[in-house]
Amino acid sequence: MGASKGQKLSGMQRQVLSLYRGFLRAARLKPTEDRRQIESIVSAEFRRNSKQVDRKNFLYIEYLLRRGKKQLDQLKSPDTIGLSSCNVSSSKKKC
Amino acid sequence: MASLAGSSISMQPRQTLATSRVSGLKLVSFVNRGRSSLSFRLRPDRLRISCAAKPETVDKVCEIVRKQLALPSDKAVTGESKFAELGADSLDTVEIVMGLEEEFGITVEEDNAQSISTVHDAAELIDKLCGEKSA
Repeated sequence: MGASKGQKLSGMQRQVLSLYRGFLRAARLKPTEDRRQIESIVSAEFRRNSKQVDRKNFLYIEYLLRRGKKQLDQLKSPDTIGLSSCNVSSSKKKC
Repeated sequence: MASLAGSSISMQPRQTLATSRVSGLKLVSFVNRGRSSLSFRLRPDRLRISCAAKPETVDKVCEIVRKQLALPSDKAVTGESKFAELGADSLDTVEIVMGLEEEFGITVEEDNAQSISTVHDAAELIDKLCGEKSA
């Protein structure tokens, strides 16, 4: 997803950026310390995938988008404050 | 005879010179009326930029962009700076817009957020949104 601004973004790229925005917005509602942690984990995860995932691998990106949306829904719930980091990092650990 | 012909020829160019000077004056005064007194036709972009967004907004945006991208202090950030040229990818741009939202207490619609590519774009949009908020 190395497209820079000014270039026309594909629909999928826009979905990814929209999801990222959603995560950052959800993080705002958490206490400051949790928020920093969530932001750094989310940012690292998006950047990692943007480098590792082939931009033509639409099926996998769609899967990541679906999974991200579910994780975002969980993060939005006021109950998940401590769990939020585990939610996001679960993609690495498969917990 | 020859001298008469010569004088009549020298009259003609003087006349055309005079008319061209008058039309030149007309053009300048017209431009002055339409825009501000700073009507440099060579750099229409700069003129637009200096008129559209408040300088303090531009400064604040520059500061936030610098912080967000962790730019060194010797790197120049101006109104014309493109985020992409400063080394920002699309994820960085999302972060910058989110940071600006918090700083100015505004909400940027998704469609607008996608179209921001320079510091000046951001400052212009912020001024617009702040104006709507206070109105």
